[in-house]
Amino acid sequence: MLESQPVIVAKNLRKRYQHIIAVDGVSFDVHAGEFFGLLGPNGAGKTTIMKMLYHFCKRSEGELKVLGFDPEKDISKYQLGIVPQENNLDPELSLWENLYVYCNYYGMDPKIRFDRIETLLDFFNLGNYKHRNIRELSGGIKRQLVIVRSLLNNPKLLLLDEPTTGLDPAARHLIWNKLRELKKSGITLLLTTHYMEEAAHLCDRLLIMDTGRILIEGKPRELVNEHFEKFVLEIEQDFPASVEIRKENDGSHFFYYSNNEFILRSLLEKSANTNYKATGASILRQPTLEDLFLKLTGKNFS
Amino acid sequence: MSENFPPYFLKRVFAVWYRHQKCYCKDLIPNALPPFLEPLLYLLAIGYGVGQYLPDMEGLRYVVFLAPGMMATSSVYSATLETTYGTFIRLEYQKVYANLLATPITFKELYLGELLWCGTKGFLFSIAVLLVLTGFGLVTYPLALLTPIVGFLNACVFGILGMFVTSIVYNINNFNLYFSGFITPIFFFSGTFFPLIQLPEVLQKVALMIPLTHTVILMRALTTNHFSPNLWIHLLWLVGLSLPFAFLGYRNLKNRLIGHSL
Repeated sequence: MLESQPVIVAKNLRKRYQHIIAVDGVSFDVHAGEFFGLLGPNGAGKTTIMKMLYHFCKRSEGELKVLGFDPEKDISKYQLGIVPQENNLDPELSLWENLYVYCNYYGMDPKIRFDRIETLLDFFNLGNYKHRNIRELSGGIKRQLVIVRSLLNNPKLLLLDEPTTGLDPAARHLIWNKLRELKKSGITLLLTTHYMEEAAHLCDRLLIMDTGRILIEGKPRELVNEHFEKFVLEIEQDFPASVEIRKENDGSHFFYYSNNEFILRSLLEKSANTNYKATGASILRQPTLEDLFLKLTGKNFS
Repeated sequence: MSENFPPYFLKRVFAVWYRHQKCYCKDLIPNALPPFLEPLLYLLAIGYGVGQYLPDMEGLRYVVFLAPGMMATSSVYSATLETTYGTFIRLEYQKVYANLLATPITFKELYLGELLWCGTKGFLFSIAVLLVLTGFGLVTYPLALLTPIVGFLNACVFGILGMFVTSIVYNINNFNLYFSGFITPIFFFSGTFFPLIQLPEVLQKVALMIPLTHTVILMRALTTNHFSPNLWIHLLWLVGLSLPFAFLGYRNLKNRLIGHSL
C-alpha cells in the first residue's frame, strides 16, 4: 500500500434494517497518521459505520476500502485494532489469559506474546492487575484493558467506538493521553464519540452526523470558527440584540454571540447589577464544538 | 513490528478451540466429574439394580446392553449443553463472538472451532465412560477402542443440531422446549434402555430417523466387538442428516451476528 493512499475510503455507505435506515449515504476518507472523528448523537449511525469497517456488519450499499482491502472480501482484520463500544472481555478468563488468548487469534509467535503483553501493560501501568479476574476490575481499568487488547497485534489502524463513555474524568484524561501518544507513534486512529470535548481534544479532522447522514466535515477549530463569533455569553436574562451581538435562545438560556469580548462582558456586568435573580450560572466563554453540534443537530435551539 | 499476514485457516479454527479449551480447563474438577459420575449412577441404579430383574436383550446381559447407550448419551448431553446454553450465552451475554470477529477470525472459523470443541468434548467424555465401563468389565476390546471416535462424530452431529436451534432462539428459556421435546424423548427412545423392537411399528420408523438411534447402534457394535459392514450406513445417516442443519444453522447464526446486528 502506498503511503499517499488513504487508509479508509468510504463511498456512499448505506445500511438498511427492516424499519430504519441506519446509515444513509455516507462518504469520507481517512489518511495515514490521521486522528479522525465520527461524531453524532446516539443512533446517528456511528457504530454501524465502525462495524462495517471490520465486517461485523454487512453494508447494504456503497464501496469501502480499509487499508486497501474490502473488509467483506478480504481478511484484512489482522491489521486492525478494534475497541468496541462494549467491554467484551472474556469474563471466564483472567486479565492475562484474556490477552494471551487474544494473541492466539492473531497467530502471534508464542515467544513474542509475553514481551508484547508486558510492554503494553507497562505502557498503561496495568502491571499490577495481571492476574486479576475481569469481574474485579473497575470500568476504567477494563476500558484500558480493551485498548491494550486492541494493540496486541501492532495495528496500522485503530478503531475506537466511544472509548471513554461512562468513565470518570481522571480515567478519561489518562486514555486521551495514551491515544495522543499512539498517534505520535504513527498509527491512524478513528474515533466515535458523543463527547464533543473529546473530539475537540483529539481529532485532526471529524465529521458530525445525525440520523445516518453527514451534517458537516472539517477540522474542529475551523468548523467552530466558521459557524460562530469568537465569544459567547450564556445567560438567562433577555437583552436586545445589536449590530455587534447576535442572539439565540434554547428555551431556558439566551446565547449572545460577538467577536467583541468587551461588549459581552459589559452585558454580564449589567446583569449582575440588576435585581434579576439568575437561577443558573452565567458564563462568558469561547464557542465550542458542542455549540456547533447542538446547532447542527437542531436538538436544542428554537 | 507488525503482524505481516493473518494466521492460516486451520490455525484460526484452533484459536477458537483453544479459547474454549482454556475456559473449560479453568474449572476442571466440576467440569470433568460428570462424565465419570453419570454413567456410574445409571449403571448402578438401572444396569445392575433394575437389570437384575430383566431378561437378556438382543442376546446381551442387560447391563452390557445398557452400557453403550450411556456412552452415546454422554456426548449428546455435553454437545447439546455446549451449543444451546453455552453458545447462546457466548452470543448474547458474554459477547465472545463479537470479540472473536474483531480479530482475524471469521464466522466460518468461529463455527468450525465451536464444532471442533464439541467433538473434542464428545471424544473425551466417551473415553471417560469407556474407562468406567472397562472398570466393570462391560466392554470388549479391541473394537471398543474406536468408541471415542464415534463419540467425536456424535458430538459434532448434536453440536450442529444445537447450534441450529440456538440460531432461531431469541429467548434463553425456549431451550427448555428443545430439551423436553427432543433431547429427553430421544434419550429414552433411541434403543438406549430397551431394543427398538419393543416399540409400535410407527414409532420404530420415527426412531430410525433420529441420529442418536444410529449412534447407539454403532456404539453397541463397538463395545460388544461385533463389526458388520452395515455400520457404514449408520455412519452415513449421521453425516447426511446433519448436513442440512449445518447449512441452516451456519446461515442463520451468521446473519444474526453480521447481517442483522445493530
